[in-house]
Amino acid sequence: MNEELDSQLSAMFDDELLPQECELLARRLSRDGELKARWGRYAVMGAVIRAERGVRLNAPLAHRVSAVLLAEPELGASAAVPARRAGVRWWQPLAGGAVAAGVAAASILWLRAQVPLAPTALTAAAQPPAAAHAVNVVNINTAGAHDSYVTPPAPATRALVVPSTELANYVVAHSMFSTPVARRNLLSAFMTSDPAAAGTEEPPEDAKMDVKVDAH
Amino acid sequence: MSADASDLSLVRRVQRGDKGAFDALVLKYQHKLVKLVMRYVRNPAEAEDIAQEAFIKAYRALPQFRGDSAFYTWLYRIAINTAKNAVVSRDRSPIEYDLDRNNSEESYDMQGRMKDAETPEGLVLTDEIRTTVNAAIDALPEDLRTAIVLRELEGLSYEEIAAAMDCPVGTVRSRIFRAREAIDRRLREVFEGGLGRAEELG
Repeated sequence: MNEELDSQLSAMFDDELLPQECELLARRLSRDGELKARWGRYAVMGAVIRAERGVRLNAPLAHRVSAVLLAEPELGASAAVPARRAGVRWWQPLAGGAVAAGVAAASILWLRAQVPLAPTALTAAAQPPAAAHAVNVVNINTAGAHDSYVTPPAPATRALVVPSTELANYVVAHSMFSTPVARRNLLSAFMTSDPAAAGTEEPPEDAKMDVKVDAH
Repeated sequence: MSADASDLSLVRRVQRGDKGAFDALVLKYQHKLVKLVMRYVRNPAEAEDIAQEAFIKAYRALPQFRGDSAFYTWLYRIAINTAKNAVVSRDRSPIEYDLDRNNSEESYDMQGRMKDAETPEGLVLTDEIRTTVNAAIDALPEDLRTAIVLRELEGLSYEEIAAAMDCPVGTVRSRIFRAREAIDRRLREVFEGGLGRAEELG
C-alpha cells in the first residue's frame, strides 16, 4: 500500500489532516475495504493502549451495524428531496416579489432614461428632419478640400413620446393586478390620452375598453 | 487545522447517501461507545447491543446533524440516552427471557450473540489482540512509543506532542504513523489468524 496514503490515513484518524485532504480520503476510505480494515485496526490499537477492559476487541459490531443499515434507505435519497422542496417553498414568494419589484424598477429607469435633457422637449415636435443631416454631409464632402467624412452631430433633443411620472406610477401599481397584454394596452391608452404626449391619433376602441375593464 | 474535520468529512458523505462512510465512523468509535455504555450495563454483549442501537439511531438522525458540535459528542449523547432507556426498560421488565420469548426469532438472535460473547475462542482472540499490541508497543523505539502513547492515552494533539517532545509537528505525524505501522504488521497476523481459526471451527 502507498505509504503516503497510509500516513494520511493515520493523520486523518487523529483529526490532524487538512479538511480538503479529509474529503478526498473519506471518499476512498468509504470504498476501499483494505483501507477500512486498517482504519479499524488503528481503533483497536487505541482501545488497547487506553486499556479499555471488558470491551471485545474482535466484536463484529461494525458488521452488525452495516448489515442492519443495508435495509435502510440512503440518506441522500430520502433527505435531499424534502429539503429541496422546503427550500423552494420559503423563497418562492420572496423571489416572485423581487422579480416584480425588479421589473417595476427597470421600467421606471427605462422611462427616466428616455427623458431628454431639456425639460421642454417632452414633445416630438422639436426633432429636426433627418434630411437636414444628409444635406450637411453632402455639403462638407463637396465644398471642403479634404476628402473626409464628418459624422453629423447628434440632435440635441430626441423625438420621443415620453409618458408622465403619473403614468409610470400608475403602470407600476397596475402591474400587480393585470396581465401583460392588458398592461400594454393600458400603456398605449395612457400615451395617447396624456396631454404631454405628442401623438394626436385617437386610441383604438379596444384599448379604451381595456382601460375601462382594468380600471375596475 | 479544523477540529473534527475527519469525522465531518465522513458525516457529509453519509448524508449524501454513502453508507460505506458510516462504517468508518462505526469502526472508529465502536470500542469507545461500548466502553461508555458499560458504565450503565455490565454485560459486554448487552453493551454491544445498546451501542449497535445507538449507531443505528445516529445514522437515522444524521440528516438533522449540522456539525455545530463534534460528531463524537453528539454520538455519545445518543449512546448515553439509549443506555439509560435500556436500563429503565430492563428494570421495568426484570424477566427478560420468558418461555414465550424463547421461541421468538429476536430471543434466538440475542441468545446467539450472548453465546458468542462467552465463546472461549472469542475471549482468547481478544486477549491475543491485547497481548500482541502491548508487545508491539514495548518493541517500539522510544520516540515512536512516546508519540503514540501521548496521542492515544493522553489524547494530545500533534502540536501538543511536538511541544512535549521538542520536535516539529511533521515529525510527530511521521512517528505516530510509523508506530501504527509497526503495530499493525503484527496485529494483522492476529486478525487473519483468528479469522482462519474461526473458519476452521465453523
